Amino acid sequence: MRDVYIVQSVRTPGCKQKKGLFNQTRPEELISFIMKSAVERTKNLEPEHLDDVMVGCAFPEAEQGLNIGRVASQMAGFPDKVSGATVNRFCASGIEAIALASMRVQMGWSDVTIGAGLESMSFVPMTGLNPRPHPEFSRTNPEMFISMGITAENVASRYNISREDQDIFAANSQAKAAKARDNGLFTEIVPTPATKYVKQEDGTYKKETFIVEHDDGIRVSSAEGLGKLRTVFSAAGSVTAGNSSQTTDGAAATIIASKEKCDELGLEPIAKFVSYTTIGCKSDEMGVGPLYAIPKVLEQAGLSIDDIDIFEINEAFASQALYCIRELGIEKVMDKINIHGGAIALGHPLGCTGAKLTATCLANLKEVNGRYGIVSMCIGGGMGAAAIFERL
Amino acid sequence: MIRKVRKAAVIGSGIMGGGIAALLAGAGVKVQLLDIVPFDLKDEEKNDPIARNRIVKSGLDAALGSYPSLFFNKKDAGLISIGNLDDDIEKLSECDWIIEVVVENLKIKRELFTKIEKVRKTGSIVTSNTSGIPLQDICQGFSKEFKEHFMGTHFFNPVRYMHLLELIPGADTLPEILEFIAAFGEKNLGKGIVWAKDTPNFVGNRIGVQGIGATMKTMTENDMTIPEIDAIFGPALGRPKTAIFKTTDLVGLDTMIHVLKNSYDLCPDDEQRDTHILPDFINKMAEKNLLGNKTGGGFYKTELTPEWKKIRKVLNPSTMEYEDLVRPSFPCIDDAKKKSTLKEKISCVLNGDDKGAKFAWKMAVNSFLYAANRIPEIADTIIEIDNSMKWGYNFEMGPFETWDAYGVKEAVERIEEDGFDVPANVKEMLAKGNTSFYKLENGIQYFYDFASGSYKKVPVSKNMVSIAAAKGNNKTVLENKSASLVDIGDDVFCLEFHSKMNALNLEIFEVFGEALDYVDKNGVGLVIGNEAGGMPGAFSAGADLGVVSKFCHDKKYAEIYAFLKDGHKSMQRAKYSPFPVVAAPYGLVLGGGCEVCLSADKMVAHSELYMGLVEIGVGLLPAGGGCMNLWKKYINALPAKTAKDIDLAKLFVPAFMKVGMAAVSGSAAQAQGNGFLGQADRIVFNRDNLIGEAKKEVLKMVDDGYVPPAKQGLIVMGDAGQGMVNAEIFNMLNGKFMSDYDAFLAKRIAYVMSGGDVRVGSLVDEDTILKLERDAFVDFCKEEKTIARIDHMLKTGKPLRN
Repeated sequence: MRDVYIVQSVRTPGCKQKKGLFNQTRPEELISFIMKSAVERTKNLEPEHLDDVMVGCAFPEAEQGLNIGRVASQMAGFPDKVSGATVNRFCASGIEAIALASMRVQMGWSDVTIGAGLESMSFVPMTGLNPRPHPEFSRTNPEMFISMGITAENVASRYNISREDQDIFAANSQAKAAKARDNGLFTEIVPTPATKYVKQEDGTYKKETFIVEHDDGIRVSSAEGLGKLRTVFSAAGSVTAGNSSQTTDGAAATIIASKEKCDELGLEPIAKFVSYTTIGCKSDEMGVGPLYAIPKVLEQAGLSIDDIDIFEINEAFASQALYCIRELGIEKVMDKINIHGGAIALGHPLGCTGAKLTATCLANLKEVNGRYGIVSMCIGGGMGAAAIFERL
Repeated sequence: MIRKVRKAAVIGSGIMGGGIAALLAGAGVKVQLLDIVPFDLKDEEKNDPIARNRIVKSGLDAALGSYPSLFFNKKDAGLISIGNLDDDIEKLSECDWIIEVVVENLKIKRELFTKIEKVRKTGSIVTSNTSGIPLQDICQGFSKEFKEHFMGTHFFNPVRYMHLLELIPGADTLPEILEFIAAFGEKNLGKGIVWAKDTPNFVGNRIGVQGIGATMKTMTENDMTIPEIDAIFGPALGRPKTAIFKTTDLVGLDTMIHVLKNSYDLCPDDEQRDTHILPDFINKMAEKNLLGNKTGGGFYKTELTPEWKKIRKVLNPSTMEYEDLVRPSFPCIDDAKKKSTLKEKISCVLNGDDKGAKFAWKMAVNSFLYAANRIPEIADTIIEIDNSMKWGYNFEMGPFETWDAYGVKEAVERIEEDGFDVPANVKEMLAKGNTSFYKLENGIQYFYDFASGSYKKVPVSKNMVSIAAAKGNNKTVLENKSASLVDIGDDVFCLEFHSKMNALNLEIFEVFGEALDYVDKNGVGLVIGNEAGGMPGAFSAGADLGVVSKFCHDKKYAEIYAFLKDGHKSMQRAKYSPFPVVAAPYGLVLGGGCEVCLSADKMVAHSELYMGLVEIGVGLLPAGGGCMNLWKKYINALPAKTAKDIDLAKLFVPAFMKVGMAAVSGSAAQAQGNGFLGQADRIVFNRDNLIGEAKKEVLKMVDDGYVPPAKQGLIVMGDAGQGMVNAEIFNMLNGKFMSDYDAFLAKRIAYVMSGGDVRVGSLVDEDTILKLERDAFVDFCKEEKTIARIDHMLKTGKPLRN
C-alpha cells in the first residue's frame, strides 16, 4: 500500500443550530465553500488534480440529500471529472470520509482526494426529517433507536460520573475554547460567507451575504452556573444542555494525496494518515465508543497511548467523554486533550465532526509541535471510531 | 356611523389593566397599553425607551405569567403594544375606546382624563374601571361631548374568568354609547352585563363586601372560627368552595378592607354601616401584612415540611397564631351534602338547629334585608343584584333567588319573629299575593319589579336560547334521569345532559339514540349542549367511571363491549344522519364528553374550554370514537388530496401525543392549537349565548342545504407510526417521565390511532378503527392496574400513576 499524506485540512466556524449565524445558509454552500477554499489554500494544487470527493453527512437528506458529495463538488466549481460520494457513519461520518478518501489513495485507485464532512442541523435536525423505526424491531429492541441524551444518562449512572464532574468538565471546555478564540489559535478556521434573508423597506426580502469568522456557541460559564440548569433527558438525571455538546452547523475538508503526487506537483505534506478503526458497543451506552476504538487503533498502528501528543475526543456529552478519558488512563494528561475545547463549547455538527476534529487536531499538533494525534468519537447506534495522524 | 372598536387603549397595567388588555386581545382587538414613566429613572435612563416603559412592560409580563392565565392564548399579546403616558399619549387619538384602570385616586384620575380629553378623537368612548369613586366626581367640568361619551365599565378580577361587567351610565352618557358598550361587552367580550347606578362600590361589591363584613363582625360575636365559617358558606349554600376567608385570601385582605372602607366612608346613611367596621383581629392582620396568598399567608397558610408535604394551617383570631387546620362539621352541612338540588340544600342548612345553621340563618337575614333595601338605591331591579353576585362572586344564587329557594313568605315570618323589620317593598309584594321574586310561566322567566309592583319579563338577549326556559314551557320531548331532548324552536332540538358532572352513562346513550330517531322524524337538526352551573362548569367530565369500575370488577367484558358498540353506533349515526348535529361545549369537556363533540358535524365552543382526551389517566383510552375522530380532525384539516402525499408522521405524532399525554386545553384558542377545534368550528365568547349560537349554526347549515358527509376510508399512519412511538416511549421510560404501565397503554393507543397493523398511507374503514378502540378498551379493563387507576380516581378525584 502506498503512503498517504494530508496536504490541507480546514474547517468553517461552527454555528449554533437555528439560533446561530449559519441558520439561513444552505448546507451545500458551507461544504462547497470549504472544499474550494481547501484547494485554493494548497500551494501548487488545482481542482483538475482532484480525483474524488467523499463527504460525510449523518443525515444526508433534503438539503443535504441528492448525493451532496457530487452536488458540493460541482458547486465548488471542480471539473466534471471529479466524482463525489456521500458517506454516512453518523457522528463519525467526517472521519470515515477522510479514511475512505485515504484508502482510495493507498490502494492506488486515486491520487488526490478530498475527505470532508458536513452537517447543517438547522436544515436537517438530528434523527432526520422522516425517522421511521421498524415497528417490530423497535418493539423488541427499542434501544437501537434510543435518544443520545438517554445514553449519556446511562453512562453517567452506570459508571458514576457525577453531575458536578460533568459541569466542571463542561466549564473547562468553554474556558479553553474562549481562550483559544481570543488568542487567535483556531488557525484551521476559514472565515466563511453566510446568508441571511433581510426584509427590505418595501416588505420584500433580499438574500444578503456576510462573513462568519468564529465559532458562535462559545459561552464562558462556571461549573456552579451550569449546576443550576435542569436536566433534559431524564427527570432525575444529570445531563443538561450545559454539559452536552451543542447542535451545530458546520463543514470541514481535508485534502489527501499520494506521496508520488506530492512529489510530482510539489505539494507540501503536513501529516501522514496512519491508521483508522471502528468498533461496536452497546447502543444504550454508545458514549463508551472511544474507550474501545482508541486502544484498537493504537494496536493497529503499533503505538502506545503515551506516544500521543494531541487527543481530539469528541465531547458528545461530558459524561461519556470524561468516562472514556478516565478509563483510558489519560486524565493525568488533560493538557493534551481537546486543548482548545470540544463540542460542548464548539459544537458537534454530527457528520462534520470527524472532519472538523481532524483539522483541529492537525492545527493543534503544529501548535504544540507534537508528532502523533488521535481523533475519536462515539457514534449513535453504539460504535466508536478513532484515527491516528502523524505530523510531518 | 357604524361604531366599531378598531383599537382600544387600556391605561394602567396592573392586574386589572393587564387583564382587560388580555381579554380585549383575546377578542381580536388591537390594544394600546399605557402606564406611567417610572419616577426613579437614573439620569442615563431618562432617554431610554426601554427604561421609560419599564412599568408597563412588567405589567404585561405579569399578565403573561399569570396562572390561571389571563390570556386565552399567549400569542394574543402580539395585538398589544405598550407605551407610556409621556411619550405615547398621542396614540390615544387612534383609539375608539379608552379604558382608564389607574390607581383609585380622584386627583390622579382627573389629571389623566384632562390629558385624554386633549388627544382623544371626537366620538371615541372613554370609560373608567373605577370600583368605588363616583363617576360624577371624575368627569365634573369636562366638555359636554366628553361627558356624552363617558361611562363606567367595571370589570372583576380575574378579568378573563369573572363573568360580571358592571356598566355605570354617567348623567350625560348618550344612550347609543351605553347600548354599544353593553352589546360589545356581551357579545365580543362574553360578559354578563349588570346595569349599576353611580353609587359607591356599585352593585356587586356593595352587596358582596357587606356580606363579608357582616360575617366577620358576627363571627366574633358568636364565637365562630374561620374554618367553621368557611364550612358553612361553601357549596351547601351555593357559594364557591373558597367560601368567605379563602376567597379573601385570594383577593387580598387589603383590597377587601379598601372596598369596605369605601362603603363606610361614602354611604353614611347605610342602615348596615356598622357591619363595615371590621373586628380588631382583621386590622391586626393587615398591620402584620397577613394579606392572603400574595403575602404567603392570610386567614390560611400552607407550610411545607422538609419532605415537601403540605400542611394546611389556619389563623386563630384570639391568639393571632396559625394552628393546624381541622375541618369542622355541622349536622346541617352534612345533611345538605346528601341533597341533590341547591334549593333542598339551602332549606336544609337554613332550617337546621345546630350552631352552624343558626349562624347561616342570621347571615341569610342580613343578606336578604340588605339586598332588598338597596333597591332602587343601587340598581332598579332585583335581577341586577342577583346577577352581580352570581357573576362577580360566583354564587350559584343571588340573595333574592336564595330567598325564593327558602320561601319568601316563610322567611319573612321568621325574620319578623326574630324581631327584624322587613323592607316595605317585600311586604307589599307579599300583600299583593305574590309569593316569589321570580316565576317561570310558559317558558318565560318573570321577576318582581318593585317600582311598578308587578311581574315583568326578565330581559333576554336576542342571541340567547335557554334550555331551562324551553323545558319550563313543556318543550321536553324525551327525558330520563340523565338526559333530555328539548325542542328549542324552529324545529331544532337540543340534547341536554343533566347527570352529575354531566358524566356519560347508559341513560344518556339511551336518550341519545332515541333523540336521533326523533329528530330525524320531527326536526331539522340537533344541538348537543347544556347549561350546567359553576365556573367553569362541566359540559361533560367524561364517562361515568363508577359504571366502568363496576363492570371491571364484575368482569362483565361482553357488557362493556356492547356498551361501547352502542356508543359508537350513536356517534356514527349522529355524524352520518341526514340532519346537522352541532355540539356546544364549554368548560370541562373531558374524555367521553370530548368524544361526543369530536363526532359532531361542527362545534360551537365557549372561549373557556378545557377540552382533552384524558382517558390514559385512568388506564383507559378514548373508545367513543375519540382516537379516530381526533386523527380525522388532523387529516381533514389538510387541503384536498394532499394527505396522500404528505409525511403523515407530522400529524400522527402530535395527534397521538394529545391522547398519550392527556393534553387538556386551557381555552378554546388552545383547543384550536391542539387540533380539537378545526377551521369549521366556532368560538363564542359569551356562554349564555352558546345554545343560541349553536342553534343558529344548525339553521344556517340547513339553509345551506345540508347533506351528511360521505363515509370514506380514513388514511392512516399504520405500523410506521407505531415504530416511531415505540422508540420515543423507550426514551421517556428511560428518562422516568412515564411509568411502565403508561408505556403499555400509550403503545396500544398508538396502535389504535395508527389504524392497527397496516401499511402507512392505507385507507382504513372508520368501523375498523372503532373496533380497535373497543378491543383495546376491553383489554385495558382486564388489567389490574387500570382498575386501580379507576378506583383511585373515584376515591380521591386524582389520577394514580402506577
